[in-house]
Amino acid sequence: MTSHDLRDVLNIPSDASAGPRPTKKQKTSAPRPNLKGLAREVQNLGGDNPIAIVPEVSIFKKRRVASRKPAARWELRAFTNSARADDGALLLRHWRRKTDDGCAPHGDSTLQDGEAQPGNGTSLDGEQKQQQSKAEVVEDSAYAKYNVQVQVPQYSEDQYHANLQNSDWTKEETDYLLGLVKEFDLRWTVIWDRYEFSPRVAGPNGDAATSTAVVPASSRPRTMEDLKARYYEVAAKMMAVQKAVQYMTGPEFQLYEMMQNFNPAQETARKEFALNRMARSKDEAREEESLLLEIKRILARTERFNEERRELYNRLDYPATDTDINSFKSSAGLQSLLQNLMNLDKSKKRKSIMAGPGDGVSPQTAVPGSAVSETGPGGGGGGHHRRESIAASASGNHRDSIAGTPATPVEPPPSATTGVGASKKKSSGGAQQVVERRKLTEQEEQIYGVTRHERLNPSGPTFRYEKINKLYSHKSGQQQQRITNALLELDIPPRLAMPTAAVTAQFEKLWSAVTALVDLRKVSDRLDSDIKVEEAKKAERDKVRAAKQSASGGGDGDLVPSVEKDNASERPPSRAGPAPGGEEKVAAGDGTAGGAAVAASVDSPTVIKEEQAGDKDKLGVASAAASRPGSSGAHKRSASVLSTTSDKSSKRQKK
Amino acid sequence: MAQQPLSSAQQPTDIYGGDEVSALVLDPGYCHTRAGYAGEEMPKQVIPSFYGHTADGRDIFGDEVIIPRASFEVRNYMNRDSVVEDWDVATKIWEHLLVKRLQPERPTPASKNGLNNVNDNDGDVAMEDVLKDENGGIDASLLEKPLAESPLLMTEAPWNTAKAREKAIEISMENWGCPAFWLSRTPVLAAFAAGKATALVVDIGGANASVTAIHDGMVLKRSIQRSPIAGLWLSNQIRAMWETCEPKVEIVPTFMVENKKPVEAGAPADVRLRNFGFPIADSFRAFEEERLLTEFKESVVEVWRGPGRYQGPNEDFARSQPGRVFEMPDGSNQMWREQRYKVAEGMWDETAAYPITGGGDEGRVSKGQTIPALIKASLEGVDVDLRPNLLSNIVVTGSTSLLNGFNDRLNMELTAMYPGLKIKIHAAGLTSERRFGSWIGGSILASLGTFHQMWISKKEYDENGPGIVEKRCK
Repeated sequence: MTSHDLRDVLNIPSDASAGPRPTKKQKTSAPRPNLKGLAREVQNLGGDNPIAIVPEVSIFKKRRVASRKPAARWELRAFTNSARADDGALLLRHWRRKTDDGCAPHGDSTLQDGEAQPGNGTSLDGEQKQQQSKAEVVEDSAYAKYNVQVQVPQYSEDQYHANLQNSDWTKEETDYLLGLVKEFDLRWTVIWDRYEFSPRVAGPNGDAATSTAVVPASSRPRTMEDLKARYYEVAAKMMAVQKAVQYMTGPEFQLYEMMQNFNPAQETARKEFALNRMARSKDEAREEESLLLEIKRILARTERFNEERRELYNRLDYPATDTDINSFKSSAGLQSLLQNLMNLDKSKKRKSIMAGPGDGVSPQTAVPGSAVSETGPGGGGGGHHRRESIAASASGNHRDSIAGTPATPVEPPPSATTGVGASKKKSSGGAQQVVERRKLTEQEEQIYGVTRHERLNPSGPTFRYEKINKLYSHKSGQQQQRITNALLELDIPPRLAMPTAAVTAQFEKLWSAVTALVDLRKVSDRLDSDIKVEEAKKAERDKVRAAKQSASGGGDGDLVPSVEKDNASERPPSRAGPAPGGEEKVAAGDGTAGGAAVAASVDSPTVIKEEQAGDKDKLGVASAAASRPGSSGAHKRSASVLSTTSDKSSKRQKK
Repeated sequence: MAQQPLSSAQQPTDIYGGDEVSALVLDPGYCHTRAGYAGEEMPKQVIPSFYGHTADGRDIFGDEVIIPRASFEVRNYMNRDSVVEDWDVATKIWEHLLVKRLQPERPTPASKNGLNNVNDNDGDVAMEDVLKDENGGIDASLLEKPLAESPLLMTEAPWNTAKAREKAIEISMENWGCPAFWLSRTPVLAAFAAGKATALVVDIGGANASVTAIHDGMVLKRSIQRSPIAGLWLSNQIRAMWETCEPKVEIVPTFMVENKKPVEAGAPADVRLRNFGFPIADSFRAFEEERLLTEFKESVVEVWRGPGRYQGPNEDFARSQPGRVFEMPDGSNQMWREQRYKVAEGMWDETAAYPITGGGDEGRVSKGQTIPALIKASLEGVDVDLRPNLLSNIVVTGSTSLLNGFNDRLNMELTAMYPGLKIKIHAAGLTSERRFGSWIGGSILASLGTFHQMWISKKEYDENGPGIVEKRCK
């Protein structure tokens, strides 16, 4: 407290020239005495006033150690500033420590200074020398480097006419604007403040009318937005001219975009808003403040509501039926789907467990024991953790069930929030943890290709095309060749391109039909050869009989053509399967064959017997082929069946 | 504990980017003219802008020479707008400050002092002859320019005319031979003194009150607002109050009192006045009266801090508060209670001002001249985006702003005017910092290392003529 302050307090006029202030200032700036033996914190308790109980140790000013070294020399050294526009014409001088080493010229100059001081008679040439040496060594100001300037777009006359024409702006005014921008380093407030463009009055030849017409139009006050818009327009266009847009670097392009998208109207509107905001009265300000508070409160509340609602929805899980199932069509997708379904199932189950003992209002509060205290305040976060832990444990169970063992409680993952509660639950309700797969509906099963087997193949899971290959491998090479030929006739590759379940099933059908056909042909071939043999025998016998008859005379010579006819009519259908007319012929041939057989049975019982057996075989095979879902009747022959099924399977394959 | 003296062996650490080149700073105002070296915290020389003019045509400068003399007038080289009017005297007064008072006496160079001239008979040489060369004209090169070593930074009012600016650089370059010159506006410097580059400067000085927005160290011209509601106007208010109050208070300046006896409060003065043998000029008496009024302003006048305007119920409240006693030079003293608030109320409320008798239109305050109105008008002249920033950076400077309660009232008025915005008033606590705000700012600016590139050098002046000041000192 100085006398000055006292005067201030008492309102006594103080003489301004009396300046006790500086001493006070010095006092405050001086470091506080460091008291030994007292904790700094305790010292700080005292604030600005030193603690009274500690005796102030008077510290005397240390005696200055007189150094033997001579006093430091200083010199008034001239320097220039390269940031100045007058190329070093201004030589200012400041005091600098004199350096003995290296800078001999400096020493020289000061020496000459010293010489020049006492007697001016010699100073003329001395000064000249001094000037010379100074000119050689004048240092540059350390502050010159701070002289930075903004980059303002430059344009030539042609470029202006090509790119920058604007009906509202003349070239002179644009030049003026850019000059101001450069001068004031893009400080728009200052630019707008100093913007006083007065267009030149039209030249001597320009008549008064045009000049007066032009002047008021362009001398109307420009708003800051006008100026900015024009400048950004010019800058953006010149930027694009100098460097095509596609070659700009990221920041350059950003700048370009920003300048291009400058919207003066929006800026003006914003400023109007700001103006209105400033102009509101005290009551309005208070009202606005309270409204803002209210909004904040409402927002906070809705946030909580949303949180709770989301929590609720998470609990009420529902199968997402409307989602695309394409992701589940691969085996990996199926796997994950299965896991998901299991997780959902699991969580549902657990929730019901959790909600069980509680009142059911909030599942979180129903979590027993310490889990309440841990998950309760956590809110959504806690729920999330639980979900995670459930997923983890569910996946563990899933693996177990795949292995075929009954579900066993899995060690819960080390989750901070649910650790205790989860283990408690596990111990209490381990029995209820049996994995229960969700029942798929018929349709779903079809879609996912789920099939059920009583027991698995002893060889384990196989690929579908291997199954088909296995079918092949059971046949002899000749038969394989025949089957392949038959399939090729139907335009079906022997190896399926897309062996889906349905396709393989159909292919199997087709394949068995083809095998049956091949077998039938084998049988028919054998029969043919037999018949030939028998015929040969018969002819032999006939010869013998004719030889006898010629002796005795015989009457059943007309039987031979009928049998021959039968054979002839029987052969074509087996040879030409897909022929459309073959069906009727076969049917007709069958009938005639039957008739022929009956007729034949009259006089050649052995042959008839054989024929009947062959027919029965045929019919059996045919009926076996015809009893398949695609065929219409038992009387139809395999060829027709073949044709229809092959059509279908080929269609499927194309699909 | 005393500070350790700076060791002379090491360079001072330039924490503020200073690089001193022994520049001079000159801050002329209507009431006082201040001068000193850049880098110092106070001006070394402060003299009144009033100067004595004797009948025989001599002008004498400085506070101490203004004493009653025969046929002696007191004049001011500036007009009430704080713009130099009498350039001849201004040159002399400034030279008196910068050369005679600030620079050390320098011996005449030996080549010129005549002592070495052996061909002289009596050894006594008339100075004029030495300086004259063979042609009889004064050789300019022989005349050593007085300020050839010091760059000069001058301040000016923001509304200074272009002509006055050119004249200023002409004088400093031609007459004094300054190597470099700069002209800066007072509000900018006041903002610098407060450590701000962007500020709304409220400068309540002697002759003018002005409000100016500064952005990045540049005056925003459209925001310049000024009014005469400043020290002199307040003096006139006090005069008017003294004239209207009962009993009427006579103004007797100190120099007229020869002898006085203490009297009771409110009693007429018991004084014997000094009798000069010559008539005292009115201007001298006015100058002396102004001193008395300044004292009254400093010790008695107070600004009603609020809440609300002073007029109305607050006036009754103020009447019940303890007043202040002021003793006139003639010994009469009186307690001032509510009046001391009322004289300053006109700064805020144009209806509360005392009507100036005989002052004509000059003393009357219009609505737009009050300080809140000035600030409002000033803010309307700047971009909307800048206004909140300015309002949170209000710099109060000028000696009239030292009135008790001024800042509180200003804060109250502004909060009422802009309720939603943050208002922060920066007013230096030290009296001298408020009085010499612009000089201190000039001192800071001229000692900055980065300022070296700004100076207008002699070469630039020679090439471009005085018009360069308009181009450079924006």
